[in-house]
Parts: sequence; structure tokens; C-alpha cells
Amino acid sequence: MNEAEAILMGLRIWAMIGAAVAAVFLTIGMDRIDEDAQGAYVFRPLLIPGVMVIWPLVLWRWYVWETGREAWGRRYDPPRKAHFAVGMILPAGIALIILTGLALRQTWPADVAPVQLLPAQEVSQ
Amino acid sequence: MSVKYTPVQWNTNKYIYDAVMLVGVALFLYVFLYAAPGILSHERPIDPQVHNARAFGACAFVMLTVILCIGPLARLDKRFLPLLYNRRHFGVMTVFVALTHASYILNWYFAFSSSDKFEALLFANTSYSQLAGFPFEVFGIFALLVLVILSATSHDFWMKFLTPPVWKRIHYLIYPAYLSVVAHVSLGILQDQQNHAFTVIFIGGAVAVGVLHLMAALHERRADAAISAETAEWIDICDVSEMSDGFAKIRLLPAGDRVAVYLNNGTLSAISNACAHQNGPLGEGRIIDCLVTCPWHGFQYDVTSGQSPAPFTEKVPTYNLRLEGTRVQVDPAANPPGTYVEPVPVPDHAAQEAPA
Repeated sequence: MNEAEAILMGLRIWAMIGAAVAAVFLTIGMDRIDEDAQGAYVFRPLLIPGVMVIWPLVLWRWYVWETGREAWGRRYDPPRKAHFAVGMILPAGIALIILTGLALRQTWPADVAPVQLLPAQEVSQ
Repeated sequence: MSVKYTPVQWNTNKYIYDAVMLVGVALFLYVFLYAAPGILSHERPIDPQVHNARAFGACAFVMLTVILCIGPLARLDKRFLPLLYNRRHFGVMTVFVALTHASYILNWYFAFSSSDKFEALLFANTSYSQLAGFPFEVFGIFALLVLVILSATSHDFWMKFLTPPVWKRIHYLIYPAYLSVVAHVSLGILQDQQNHAFTVIFIGGAVAVGVLHLMAALHERRADAAISAETAEWIDICDVSEMSDGFAKIRLLPAGDRVAVYLNNGTLSAISNACAHQNGPLGEGRIIDCLVTCPWHGFQYDVTSGQSPAPFTEKVPTYNLRLEGTRVQVDPAANPPGTYVEPVPVPDHAAQEAPA
């Protein structure tokens, strides 16, 4: 098995576990923890992709709801301070990446002959 | 607002929002595919599949750029708040456009090898040790995965189940995803772009996102400094004469939460500034018939109890208040969500006295 096959296999296993979690959570779990979900079924298939991608978080949150460990104050304390970090990092990152991209261009700012980066490789496995 | 969950909560405003968005996407694709196909062309003719892939890729980039501009614009100027209202449909639409771009790429560049096309995508270029010729596809894959996670967790159920702060932290992934898209374009198509119309759109859009976020961050820091409170048993909010009927004064409390103190028909009430839905700024809403409306998505709360009107079930914490002379003061310890607090009446003379 090569690395690409291993990565795809990992993703398939992740999705299969997620599908199993979705099957249990959407049929049994959500009725136990959310009164707004009781008797509402049409919207549940929409949640399947979400459970499949973040199933460990779903299991953790389900556990927190079931055990009543939730501290209600945290629900009303959004991570607003992160806006400031984002406001600094995002423009710096954008500028750095674009300048790197422009510096790497082989035909800019002046037209120059293209350079062969690597020798020709085998193209198929 | 939720009573029972539905797949999509439609209303007239959302239909209009989505119609404008769909027309915009169709117009963009029409221009890039048919009206001015040269914008995405190279020196040499390209195949229709490649052209389609580039048009959808360019469209996804522009959509993501617009989405990311909406947040800081709404923080800088409230007139942009209507754009925030249905941004999640915009995001979900962007995922479909990005998936279309990815499928054109997969089914053209990687579909004709003897290997599985997904494996071919991962091993076709593994020059991770050099910047020139870097496998830029990996940035696109990361951004696409993030967009799928964000759209898959965009239903209101997820916000209630995960809690708005956890949901918000997950959705902060949009920022690394955007940087990843910028890297995907910079190390990808930008290396070979000959017609610079898209180069200008790309750099202009990305710079706009960066500058707007910087401006909003600085603006918010100034605003936070103005509303922050010293640690005390009772936190001073303002003089009662500074308050306008139907509106709130917002104060940042020592523990980091924000309180919104309202003057409502000659009485004072205080609730959390964070809406139970997405933690929108309730203190920027206006009271009508004792109910304050969240400016982000229209959720409503009774300011005396922090409860949404029946049959809705959302609740926010309330705070105890007192009037010391003409000074409005709040107890920084919040009451559990939905706790009724008797409004504090404001004597006529206190409301009319000028602040010292």
C-alpha cells in the first residue's frame, strides 16, 4: 500500500465510523438531548454529512449533554478576542503568500526563458 | 428561530438573498465561460473541461472572498448587516461551486491514468521540498475539506448542540482555509497566468479581505477599550441620562462576557449581549414591545427574563441592576438563562438630570 492508498483508506474508515455514529445519534441520541428535535425528522438526513466529518466531537458533545456537565455560562462567551489575532495574521499571511507566488513566477516581472525544474519523471504507476 | 427543526428555514428575505446570489454566480460563470473566455485563457488554446474548471475555481474564489468581506464590513458599518443575515446559504453555495471545480480537475487531469483518480491526485506531484513546482493541489484539497466541514455543520441544530462558542471555533477554520486558497492560486494558476484580468481580481480580492480584517480588528479593539470595566462588586455602566429609550448600553465585564443594559419605557433591564443562536450582539438591537431583536438573524428576547416569546425556547442570561443616584450599575454575576429580574424603575428626575 502506498501513501496515497493509506490516506484514502484512512478517510474511508473515518467516514464508515461516522456513518455508524450518525445512524445511532440521529435515530436515538438527538431525541434524548434536544427537545426541539423531538418529532422533527425531515431535517435529520441533512445532518448525516456533518456527523460523518466531525463524529468524535459529536460523541464528546453527546456525552456532555447526557451527563449534564455543561457550564451554561460558556454558551454566552464567544471567542471574540480571536478576531484580533485573525485581523493581524490574515493580512500578513495573504501578503506573504502572494509575494512568494509572484517571486516564483518565471515570466514576471521580466520575460525570461522558462527553467526546467526537475528532469522528466515516470508519469504513471 | 426554532420551535421544531426544519431542513431550511425560508422566508421572503432569504428567497431574495438567494436569488441575488444565484444570479450573481450565473452572471460570473456566463462572463468567464462565454462573454469573455479570454480572461481565463492561456497563450495556447485550452480544452473546454480545463476552461470550465478555471471558471468554477475563479467563481469559488470570488464567492469566498465576498463572504469573508461581509463579516468585517458588518463590524465596521451596520449598513452591511443585511448581507450577514443569510451568509450561510452563500457559504453552502460556494461549496457546491468549489466541488464542481474539483470534479472538473479530477475528471480531466487525473482520470486517464491506470490508477484510481483520487490516488493519482495525491501522488502525481510530491515535490513538497521545493516552492517552485510545489504540489499546490494539496492547498485546494485542505480548503475544500474545510468548506465541506463548515457547510455540513451549518444547520441551526449544530449551533445549539455544539454551543455557539464551540461552533464558532470550528468555523474559524475558514481563515486557514482562505490562506490555503490564496496559496492554491498563488502557487497554481498564478504561475502560468498570461491574461492578468484574473490576477488583478485575485490580488485585489485577497488584499481587500486582509485589509478589511485588519481594520475591523483595530476598530473592535478601540471599542473594547471603551466599554471595558474595572473589577468591582457592582460595575458602573453609565449615567441614566445617557440612555435612550428602547436602546442598550453594552459593557465588557471583568470575566470577559458582555452585558446589554436597556432603558425600556422608563425601566432598566439587563441581559447577556450574546444571542443564544450565534452569539450575535443583542445590545445593538432595538426594543419593541419589551422584546429586543438580534441584529444578525432576528431572534427575539424579553429583556426582563431573557426568554424568547412562546412558542420559541431560546434563553439568555439576565443580570441584576441597581441605580445609585443617577448611575446605572450591574452585578457582574449573571443569572441562569431565562431568570426573570424585576425591572428597575427610573425616577423622572434621575432621567432628566445631566451627567456630572
